[in-house]
Amino acid sequence: MLRSRRVWWLLAALTALVLALAACAPANVQQVGSPPAAEEEAPGEEAMPAQEEAPGEEAAPAEEAAMEEAETIKIGALAPLSAPGSVTGGEAMKAAFEIALEEINEAGGVLGKPVELILVDTAGQPEQGVAAMEKLINEDKVVAVVGEYHSAVGLAVKEVARQYHIPVVFAETWNDDITASMYPEVFRIAPLSSEVAAVDAKFIASLGGIEKVVIMTENTGYGIPAAESTTERLAELGIEAVTFSADLGTQDFSAIIERIKAEEPDMILVLVTGETSYNFEQQAAEAGIGPQDIPMICNQVAGDSESYWKNVPDGNLCFYRRIGLPRALYTPETQAFAEKYMARTGKADVESYAMEAYDSLKLMAQAINEAGSTDADAIIEALENIEYQGALGTITFPVNSKNPPEAAGVEPKWWHQFPKPAITMVQYQEPGQDSKDAVVVFPEEYKTGEPIIPGR
Amino acid sequence: MLAYVLLWMVLWAMVGGVMTPRIYARKDLDVANTGLAGALMGAALGPFGLALLWWRSPKLTGRWLATPGVLAVLLFAAAFARTYPGNLCVSNGSFVVTQVVNGLILGLIYGLMALGLTLIFSILGVVSFSHGEFYMIGGMLVYYMSVVWLPGLNPLVALVGAALITFLIGVVFERLFLRVMNTGQVERPGEYAILVTFGLAFFLQYLTLALVGATPKKAPRFLDYPRLDWPSPENPWLLRMRAGTVEFLDTVSIATPRVTAALIAMVMLLILMWFLYRTWIGKALRAVSEDRQAAAVTGINPDTMNTLAFGMGTMLAGLSGASLVQVFSWVPWVGTLASARAFVIIVLGGMGSLPGAFVGGLIVGLVEALGAGCIPDPQRAAAYIPAYGMVILTLVLLLKPTGLFGREL
Repeated sequence: MLRSRRVWWLLAALTALVLALAACAPANVQQVGSPPAAEEEAPGEEAMPAQEEAPGEEAAPAEEAAMEEAETIKIGALAPLSAPGSVTGGEAMKAAFEIALEEINEAGGVLGKPVELILVDTAGQPEQGVAAMEKLINEDKVVAVVGEYHSAVGLAVKEVARQYHIPVVFAETWNDDITASMYPEVFRIAPLSSEVAAVDAKFIASLGGIEKVVIMTENTGYGIPAAESTTERLAELGIEAVTFSADLGTQDFSAIIERIKAEEPDMILVLVTGETSYNFEQQAAEAGIGPQDIPMICNQVAGDSESYWKNVPDGNLCFYRRIGLPRALYTPETQAFAEKYMARTGKADVESYAMEAYDSLKLMAQAINEAGSTDADAIIEALENIEYQGALGTITFPVNSKNPPEAAGVEPKWWHQFPKPAITMVQYQEPGQDSKDAVVVFPEEYKTGEPIIPGR
Repeated sequence: MLAYVLLWMVLWAMVGGVMTPRIYARKDLDVANTGLAGALMGAALGPFGLALLWWRSPKLTGRWLATPGVLAVLLFAAAFARTYPGNLCVSNGSFVVTQVVNGLILGLIYGLMALGLTLIFSILGVVSFSHGEFYMIGGMLVYYMSVVWLPGLNPLVALVGAALITFLIGVVFERLFLRVMNTGQVERPGEYAILVTFGLAFFLQYLTLALVGATPKKAPRFLDYPRLDWPSPENPWLLRMRAGTVEFLDTVSIATPRVTAALIAMVMLLILMWFLYRTWIGKALRAVSEDRQAAAVTGINPDTMNTLAFGMGTMLAGLSGASLVQVFSWVPWVGTLASARAFVIIVLGGMGSLPGAFVGGLIVGLVEALGAGCIPDPQRAAAYIPAYGMVILTLVLLLKPTGLFGREL
């Protein structure tokens, strides 16, 4: 009797847990490895009742799969939606993908068919990214892939794209090597890490009087090379740099901050991303080397002003890098996307990775349309010739198979690379300031105000 | 220089660790702790120490372990100082003091969390893999109570609320999922416990992610400290207190949220010790951890004690998270690293040992702070923080598998 009562208790509790999970999961969580859960529900799905998949359908007969393939164009998307990846970044990208997908399907889809977007979580981990990519290609039979945030994942995933000959447009992976290996399938609309380093270095030099910089970087495929190239660029300008690195997820920086203090830097550059950067910036401020004590370039996640001020209350005067057109130069496309994005997410501004995610998907849709088929070679050729108007401006890939790097006289990293993502340096000049009101202080052509340099 | 000294120490530690138990066994003496004593003696004094140990073969009291242990640390420190004379840990006394104070403060909080884990282990015999998630939930609850749901609520009240809620979640979970282990309904209780707590960890983490999203949260500091200069406002060399920082002896400067968190941890530890050693229920808990059957014979209900212990354990994790949400940014996966550290601490201190968890917490806090502060290469110093704990863990498992305060097997 007692036994059966316990069993009932357990069953009831389990049911409650499952119900709670089922109610909550689809809102935010996708998992790799279990196909039914991993599939992102396309927001425009009402228009496509035929493609609703029941669990276990992966064993569907071949002709059914072929029929389904004929009804929609499947595009894969990668984003970090669970830790240790940048979930904040992943969720912003997800919202941007949804907006792009709605727009594409409202405009009649691609090749006359609705687009189905299959978003898979990479958790910022290369091996999970590879598994996600293989699932997209082999199980979901996508014709192209867009997105991703972490360079480490991008570096691993490009090999899979090469192996299966599937075109990819990377959204927010900065590592130079992603395009430098010159794979025909790989395109990128994010800036090159080395170019961002050059902008950082020029900005630091423009402030004047800076002789020693401490770079606080993350121990990842993005952080280490980014710190190296910044150090090189700074050295060219006669500025010394010392690099400290930490794992993503590090909470306590007190020991490192004491060491940084002892270096007596004139400036600090934070290349750590996500909430780890908030931890560093606030602890540095508490220790007396924060943005109000010496100039500090905070990580670009500072652009999410609501969360920045909550986590770094002593972070006034922080500089941060912004990728994408400055507000004054927004095109109608940027403006339209920004409005939709802010309405959807309730945020005060658009992050660069949201713009990049949005553009990567719309760009791919336009390329497939221009190619007139879902054949990989046709899509690649269309991408090489594309001229796309989007949130980031006019995107082209001028260094391509017809104009290879040797002929263009540039380094291989410019292969299939969007050459002009606008990079600006912005500064919060009042505590609690909204990121859209933050002052653009660099470069000259986009400037809306002078930088305030603490201690001067 | 450092490399040669290390090589010398490791070599003789290995010889001591392997040979000493054999020599004691041949002499028909108690072999407990002989491996550890041999290794420490070898590391500290090399062949001379080992010769002395093997020749005299004394009974290995605490003194025979502590003295060579301290000597070995000093030898290492001296070699380090000779090799890196310019290192901050060698040349800058106030830097070292700051690191030690920082390490001890964090160690206290780590200890509080590990105490919960070891309490659960000592009474239920279960290693809870969901411990880090309770740490995360404790922090989230304080944030939501004091910032979102009831803005203006005193964070210390929210802290008590978070403690109660994490306690209740722990109690409910134990009643629903862990009680069955003692009724013979589960074939492999050990494996079952691992899986079910692991499942709970995933459930709690992803449920929180779904409910609150991925944006980092942070509570404002609990207490604004009054402005205070001591001994005099002109020359406050002993203590200088401001709303955000406390400075001791003109050199050691600590952010006040950390001080608050450490004070909370200390108060909780005192309350816990009082509860466990001075109240009837506390004594009953310890009795069950010593011998379940004997405790049952004296009229203690072991099942109730299980529930209580699990609830208290999760509450302690919740409290350490709750006290740290004003220090660090909080995200749903913040518990993963914290729980890995708690495992290291309880193995280091001895599974199930309460003083062990406390001392282990302090040791791990210190080693992390000094490691990150002293490792010469700035690129690696902080990146290796999670590894420092693992190095100690490996050493302990090698030399004293029962941990510092563990019961002998």
